[in-house]
Amino acid sequence: MPKKLAAVVTVYRKYSHAQHIVDRFLDGYGWNGEYHHPPFDLVGLYVDQVGADDLSRERAQRHPSMTIYPTIEGALTLGSGKLAVDGVIFVGEHGTYPKTEKGQVQYPRYQFFNQIVEVYRKSGRSVPLFNDKHLSWNWQWAKEMYDTARSMNFGFMAGSSLPVTWRIPQWEMPLGANVREAVCVCYGGVDSYDFHGLESIQCLVERRKGGETGVKWLQAFRGDSFWKALADGVWPRDLTQAALCRSHTLTSPREGFNDMMPNGEQMKQLVKDPVAYTYEHHDGLRCSMLLMNGLVKDFNFAARLDNPSRVVSTQLYLPMPDGRTTLANFFSPLANNMERLYTTGKSPYPIERTLLTTGLTAAGVDSLYAGGTRQETPHLAIRYQTPKESTFERS
Amino acid sequence: MLTRREFLGSAAALPLALSLQRPPVRVAIVTTIYKYLSHGQHIGDRFLIGYPFDGAWHQPNVKVVSLYVDQKPEGDLSVERAKEFGFKVYPSIAEALCCGGKTLACDAVLIVGEHGDYPSNDKGQKLYPRYEFFEQCVAVFKASGRSVPVYNDKHLSYSFEKARTMVRTAHEMGFPMLGGSSLPVTWRLPQVEMPHGADIENAVMVGEGGSDAMDFHALEGLQCMVERRRGGETGVRAVQLLTGDAVWKAIDSGKISKKLLSSALSRSDTPLGLSELDGRVQDLMADGVLPGLVKNPAAYLIEYRDGFRAAMLMLDGALKDFNFAAQVRGVGVFSTQFLLTPIPNVTYSACLVQKIEDMFTTGRAPYPIERTLLTSGMLESCLDSKLQNSARLETPALSVAYHPV
Repeated sequence: MPKKLAAVVTVYRKYSHAQHIVDRFLDGYGWNGEYHHPPFDLVGLYVDQVGADDLSRERAQRHPSMTIYPTIEGALTLGSGKLAVDGVIFVGEHGTYPKTEKGQVQYPRYQFFNQIVEVYRKSGRSVPLFNDKHLSWNWQWAKEMYDTARSMNFGFMAGSSLPVTWRIPQWEMPLGANVREAVCVCYGGVDSYDFHGLESIQCLVERRKGGETGVKWLQAFRGDSFWKALADGVWPRDLTQAALCRSHTLTSPREGFNDMMPNGEQMKQLVKDPVAYTYEHHDGLRCSMLLMNGLVKDFNFAARLDNPSRVVSTQLYLPMPDGRTTLANFFSPLANNMERLYTTGKSPYPIERTLLTTGLTAAGVDSLYAGGTRQETPHLAIRYQTPKESTFERS
Repeated sequence: MLTRREFLGSAAALPLALSLQRPPVRVAIVTTIYKYLSHGQHIGDRFLIGYPFDGAWHQPNVKVVSLYVDQKPEGDLSVERAKEFGFKVYPSIAEALCCGGKTLACDAVLIVGEHGDYPSNDKGQKLYPRYEFFEQCVAVFKASGRSVPVYNDKHLSYSFEKARTMVRTAHEMGFPMLGGSSLPVTWRLPQVEMPHGADIENAVMVGEGGSDAMDFHALEGLQCMVERRRGGETGVRAVQLLTGDAVWKAIDSGKISKKLLSSALSRSDTPLGLSELDGRVQDLMADGVLPGLVKNPAAYLIEYRDGFRAAMLMLDGALKDFNFAAQVRGVGVFSTQFLLTPIPNVTYSACLVQKIEDMFTTGRAPYPIERTLLTSGMLESCLDSKLQNSARLETPALSVAYHPV
C-alpha cells in the first residue's frame, strides 16, 4: 500500500505555491528523464481560502481519491478524528492575510503547524511534515515550531526551492571550502524573495570548513544607503559583478543593446529601490543578499574562496512561468526531496538551514523597519553540519 | 560614480591586462541587417561591448574594423554603432574586408546572413545570401593572397550544393571556418555531454518554431549529440519528412521511439495547453494530448550511413523549448534540455560568440564545420521530401563523414 499524504494549504489557485507543489503529487512531474508519478496517495486536503480562482475543487474532481475537508484536523484524520496519513504537505504561502506594521504578511504557518501537531499529539503518533518557505514571519514562533518538531521527533523539512533547483553552471560548493565572502544578487520583495536569496546563499556557504556556526549580526541597506554601502565596499564589488555575469536577465542600460553590463550610475537609474542584507557569521564569514529589482530577474551567487584563492559563481536557475516558461519546474526537485522525506522519515537537508534563514529574513525586516540599523542576532547562533551529499537537481 | 573599470575590480583586471598584450584581432562584420535583436546585432555587439562568460564580463581582444550591411530597414543601428565604436560601414563586402583599401585588411570575418527581407523558395526556405556573401569574401582572400578565419551564422546555405562549395573552398584555401546554431553550445539541463564513442541505438529531438528557421536549430542540436557515437559521423543515407497524421502513426507504430519522445518531453519546462490554462503539470505523452495540441506536426527522419537512425520532431503548439533523448547501450536513456535563455539578453548567443572568438584568436575552429554542412544538407533534403509528399529520399550527396572534437 502506498503511503498516504494530506495537504494543508492557504490557497490553491494558478501559480500559487500550493498549486505547484500539490499538483506534482497528484499529476506527477518530469524527473530524471521520465514522467514520474510520486508513489503516494494524496487523500486529504484543507484549503484555508477558496476564491473565484480556486483550483482545488477541479483537482478533487479529477482525483477522486483526494477529499477536501473543512478543517485541518479533518484532512489529517480523513474525518476519523485520528491521524490517518503518513505525511503532511503544508503550504502556507499566498492568499490574503493581514500585514504586520513592518510589512510582513501574516501567513498562518505557526497556527496551522500547531493544529497539525495537535492532531499528532492526540493520535499519539507523528508523521513527517514539510513546511513551504520560512517557518514563520515571527522568529519566536519559528523557534517554537522547530523546538516542537525536535521534541516530538518527527521529520521536519522546510524552505525554498532555490537550494534544490538547477544551477547554471552545475556547480556545488566543495565540502569544507574556505569561504571568505559571499553575495547573492537577486530580485523580488522584502519578506518574500529575500528569503529565497538568503536560502540561495545559505545552502552553499553551509558546506564551508567547520560547518555552519550561526549569524552574529545583520544590517539592511535600502535606497541611498544601499548605493553608499556599495561605493564603500560594504559588500565586495567584484563578487557583485561576478554574480551579475551569471544572470540571464540583466537589464540593458541603453536602448538598442540587448545584453550590456550597466556601470554604477546606470545601475542607479535602473534600480529604484535596492535592498541589501549584510550579515556576519560567528566564524567571520560575511554574506550579502541584494534585491536589485529592475536589474535582474534571477538568483545569482558568487563567493570568494581561499586556498587556493578564487572567485566562484553560479546561477540558481528558476524556470519562471512569468512568460519565460509555463511550468515552475523548480518545484520538481523540491517535490522530489519531499518524497525522500516521506519515504525515509528524515529531511534530506537540515531544518536548521531554514530556521537560520527564517531568522535572517525577520532580522532584515527589523533592520529595515529600524531605518537600517545593525541588528545583533544572538538568537541566530545556530550551528549545524550539512550532509555531504548534494541535494540540488543534476539528473 | 563608478566607472566600469573600477566596478570590474581587481580580480577581473589581471586577465584583461594579459590579453591586451597581443594586438587585437581585426574583425570585419558582414551581415544582412543590423537591427535590435537581429542575429547581426546580438552577435556583433558582443564583439563591441563584451559579454558574460565564465562568471566575468569578458571583453574580447577583438577590434571590429568594418561593417557591411545588406539592408538598412527601419531601426537600423549600423551607422550609430560605427560612430560610437570607431569603425566604418562600407557599401560593399570587398571594401569592408579591405577597410576601403585594395587588399584584405582584417584578421577574421563574421558573416551573419540571418534576418532581413529576402524571398523564399518553394521549399519554404528563405534565400539568405550567405553563399554569395561568402564568395565575395573569398574573392578578396584570393585577390589578396591571404585568407582569414570565417564564421557563418546558422546553416551555410539553403542549398547543400552551395554549402558544400563553401566548405570545399575553405579547406582548399586552408582557412578555418565555423558555422551553425547556438544550440550545440548553450547550457544543458542537466549539464551532460554524450560520451565519445557512445553506442547510441536511437535518438529523438523535439523542438518548435517552424521551418526553415527553428528546424535548423533542432537538427543541429540533434547532430551535435549523435556525431559523438561510436565510429564518428558517417553521413546521411536517406531522409524523410512526415507531416500531419503520419507523424502520430509513426509514433504509434514505434518508428519514432515513444520511450525517447517521452523522455525528451519530460525535460520540457514549457508544455502548452492545460499548463497554460491553470499551471498544472502534464504528461504530454498521455493519450490524445499531443494530437490535441499540435495541429501541424512534422517529423524529420534521418537514416545515417552506418545504420543509425534519429528523428527530430517539430511540435508547435505542444511546447516552446528544445529537448533531446537517446538510448545508449550500457547507459540507458540519456536526455537533456538545450536551454534557450530569455529574450532580450539571449545569453546563449554569448556561448556561441565565445566559440567564434576562440577561432578568431587561435585560428582553429573549436568544432568541425562538417557538422553544420551535414545539418544544412539534412534540412534541405527533408524539405525536398516534404515537397515530394513525404517520400523517403536517398541522399548520396550527404556522405559527409567527420570526427567530432
